[in-house]
Amino acid sequence: MSIHDKKYAERIAAQFAKYPTKRSAVMPLLYIAQEEYGWISPEAIQEVAELCNMDSTQVKSIAGFYTMYSEKPKGKYWLQVCTDLPCALRGADEFYEELKAYLEVEDGGTSRDGLFTVEHVMCLAACDKAPMLQCNFHFMENLDMDKMKAFIEEKRAEAKKHEE
Amino acid sequence: MSDTVKIYIDDKAYDVPAGMNLVDAAKMAGNDIPVFCYHPKMEPVGMCRMCLVEMGSIQKDRASGEVLLDDKGNPQIRWFPKLQTACTTNVSDGLVIRTNTPQVDQARENVVEFLLTSHPLDCPICDKGGECPLQNLTMEHGPGSSRMVYSDKLKLDKHVPLGDLIFLDEERCIQCARCIRFQDEIAGDDVLAFHERGRSLQIITNSDPGFDSYFSGNTADICPVGALTTADFRFGARPWELTEVPSICPHDAAGSNISLSMRLDRDHGGRAIIKRVMPRQNENVNEIWISDKTRFGHHFTRDEHSRLLCPLVRRGGNFNETEWKTALEYAANELQLAGGSVAAIAGSGMSNEDLWELRQLVTGLGGERLGAWPPTHAGADLVAQVGVGQGTNLGDLGKGDAVLIVASDLEEEVPIWRLRIKQAHDRGALVVVMNGRPTRMDDFASTVIHYDYSKAAGAFDLLQKEHGDTARQLTGAKNLVVIAGAEGVDLAGSRALMQAAANFLIESGHVGKPNNGLMATFPGANGMGQYYLGFTPEATQDIIANPPKVLFIAQADLLFDDPAAVSWLKQVETIIQLTLFAEEPVPGVTAALPIQSFAERDGSFVNGERRVQRFYTAQGPIGQALPAWQVLNRLGVQLGLGRSKLSASILMNEIAQSIPAFAGITYKALAHVEPQFPLVGGDDVYYGGTAYRNKGGLGVQIPAAADNGGAVTKGKVEKPAAIKASGGQLLVVPATRLYNRERVFRSSELVHPRVPDAYVAMNAADARKLGIENGDMVSISAGGSTLKVRAHVNGAAPQGAVILPRHLSDTPAPLAITAGEVSKA
Repeated sequence: MSIHDKKYAERIAAQFAKYPTKRSAVMPLLYIAQEEYGWISPEAIQEVAELCNMDSTQVKSIAGFYTMYSEKPKGKYWLQVCTDLPCALRGADEFYEELKAYLEVEDGGTSRDGLFTVEHVMCLAACDKAPMLQCNFHFMENLDMDKMKAFIEEKRAEAKKHEE
Repeated sequence: MSDTVKIYIDDKAYDVPAGMNLVDAAKMAGNDIPVFCYHPKMEPVGMCRMCLVEMGSIQKDRASGEVLLDDKGNPQIRWFPKLQTACTTNVSDGLVIRTNTPQVDQARENVVEFLLTSHPLDCPICDKGGECPLQNLTMEHGPGSSRMVYSDKLKLDKHVPLGDLIFLDEERCIQCARCIRFQDEIAGDDVLAFHERGRSLQIITNSDPGFDSYFSGNTADICPVGALTTADFRFGARPWELTEVPSICPHDAAGSNISLSMRLDRDHGGRAIIKRVMPRQNENVNEIWISDKTRFGHHFTRDEHSRLLCPLVRRGGNFNETEWKTALEYAANELQLAGGSVAAIAGSGMSNEDLWELRQLVTGLGGERLGAWPPTHAGADLVAQVGVGQGTNLGDLGKGDAVLIVASDLEEEVPIWRLRIKQAHDRGALVVVMNGRPTRMDDFASTVIHYDYSKAAGAFDLLQKEHGDTARQLTGAKNLVVIAGAEGVDLAGSRALMQAAANFLIESGHVGKPNNGLMATFPGANGMGQYYLGFTPEATQDIIANPPKVLFIAQADLLFDDPAAVSWLKQVETIIQLTLFAEEPVPGVTAALPIQSFAERDGSFVNGERRVQRFYTAQGPIGQALPAWQVLNRLGVQLGLGRSKLSASILMNEIAQSIPAFAGITYKALAHVEPQFPLVGGDDVYYGGTAYRNKGGLGVQIPAAADNGGAVTKGKVEKPAAIKASGGQLLVVPATRLYNRERVFRSSELVHPRVPDAYVAMNAADARKLGIENGDMVSISAGGSTLKVRAHVNGAAPQGAVILPRHLSDTPAPLAITAGEVSKA
């Protein structure tokens, strides 16, 4: 596994083509790396640094600054629930507590099956559709626990099938 | 900066250079604006907000340009509604600032209070305590008492090793980014960065090894708090206990000005030892920076275990400790028996005064041959001819200027020059690097030319024939400096290369002016001194070819440098060795006489820019060691060759009378200082950091022959036969590594983790042919020695050559490039 894999070559080349220097493509490449590894692993940092011809310290610094890069291993599904005030008024905080209880995790934790990581985040700009979350940066809106349970079990079943 | 503008600080008018940074301008006007993040050597960022001032400008009529006056006839000032950061402002005509108003006082107090909210206040155990900008500015501007609850302070890791040499205390860091910016803007090794943000922000390094830079120690100097400390000085002493002694770095041709911080030490029998080495400002030489080798390579001066403590003489088969009197009588006797067949080989760490006395003694006895060690770099005479002009300052090079670096891995050979040329490159200078392999300098070069090592001596032919555009850019530059090394050439090749370099400069008229001319990366601190005092590598070659009866080996580690030394030294009847170290005596040596290190005595070196610089006595002698000049003088007196001399300064007077280059140079002249900009080393450590103000002298630059309108002519380039590898052989190219296992560096244990294991770099294609894989042990037979080292198969070596770093294993690498066999061990 590596972002040097052929499957990313085209996308990486496309990113480099957008900018005057390789260095400028560091952020899109970090996203690709995160897609590959599920998080910004030390190997990912090294690989992106080599590709962008930067010192790996600078790449790590960028990964650390932006919250959408995760420097900790994550489950396959990264659920970020907005619990800011407008969402909370629509019950997002209760929803979040129930979600954690259902997955048996703490804030920021990963479920035992390794599939789901949940954390609360600041405003995602979809207050009118709360409770909402983003799953691997895709919005899921107007949620309740029933919908959520269905989603979780579906993914669990998928994973199980995949294993077999 | 010829134009000046009028600015007003606290209602007083000052004329200051146009466009200057306001903090600098105020400083020159005697008004210290407090800063944390601003540093006069770096671009301002306005992060800490400590330099807030009231700012305004005098209003002028737009049409007529006349100053508008108010009702009372005073100029109208338009004030900014809020305080402004002085550090992000460049002065312009009519700028008005106030630094002493209640509003400014309030702002300063608030900024200090804010910084202290999460600062641990552990000054009593902090290395910076006593010379700490935060401490000083808190005393001056701080609130006096805290409104914070102590137990609420952020508790963070206080012992984070960023590498082997620098420790980070996360609690103390005020996040000014000075260290990050230094590494990026000045050193060019951007291995530090911020990680996370807000309250979680921290300094990190992700390089391998951590904080991988030869300049890391400087970050501890400019850190405005005790967040960055060096492994050497950490918990070592309090700044106010230290006595500062001006000195000169003994390791390389830059001649960095340093300050030795001395203190009596319990662990060393109550003697004064060097507690730390700090930069001493000399804007023409090292500015306020030093390399980590300069900073952390001083431990041999105190190491009683490795130093030779008393004279040794061989009688019969025994090598016995003895008294000076006996040893000198014995040596004198041997010298008398030599009947004039006396010669000397002197190392490049010997001071001018030592070399002078050695010369007096050898010539007094009828000897003629004075050899310079190591005999690797030729052409010091050409540096004396067309070396960089008087008043040269690499810090002045910029747009329109050019630097050519040839046959040198500058970062490893003279790191401070590499640092300064990196900055010249940033300012717009054209930097051209020519070598047989990639080096770190390539990162800071506009053009990189790689040549075949077998043609290294003819690099300038290649430049002119095949890279005409680059050659024309160089010759057409406003100022041109050529820095030549001797990598990939033997002594004859080095001479040819230096002559070609000199011709190149003479042809294009880049000689006899400041910031123009030739520099060479002579090993050791006094390569040019060797030349001026008559010691040459050619004489060394002659000594090797026809050994004398009696040979002086002074401060030179022949056996560690040259694999051939063992055999030719056998032909010398009597060897008298002057040495610092106990393990060093050459087999068969007749007398080994202990001499003092640079820290124990005074003297002078001539750096690669021909600047004669003086160092001062900092500590007492180790054992019975004497200054080399004194040993030689006593020996001379014993032989009836002159009078006893009492001090190094008297010797300098003699040198000045006899050697034209030194005319007019006295210790007093060498100690002369002039104000330098930026003003560092005062009580305001917050401005420039803890580099010391120069109180020991800026040195005197010997004029080159081409200076003051002197005529110089081109010389003939006598190109030696190309060194070729044939029949399965490869070219073995010895190279320099900054961190190595040389004797003077071996006592500095804290740097040992950074000294690479002995290795050879080879090309993948060559390795494949020889069945060698990365990490294999290989055997290299070249130049009369066989080394077993690990192979690094990578792009560091061109095809057909292997790069063999010197001084990494106990078996010496060949002195110069040669063909050799490489095989899997």
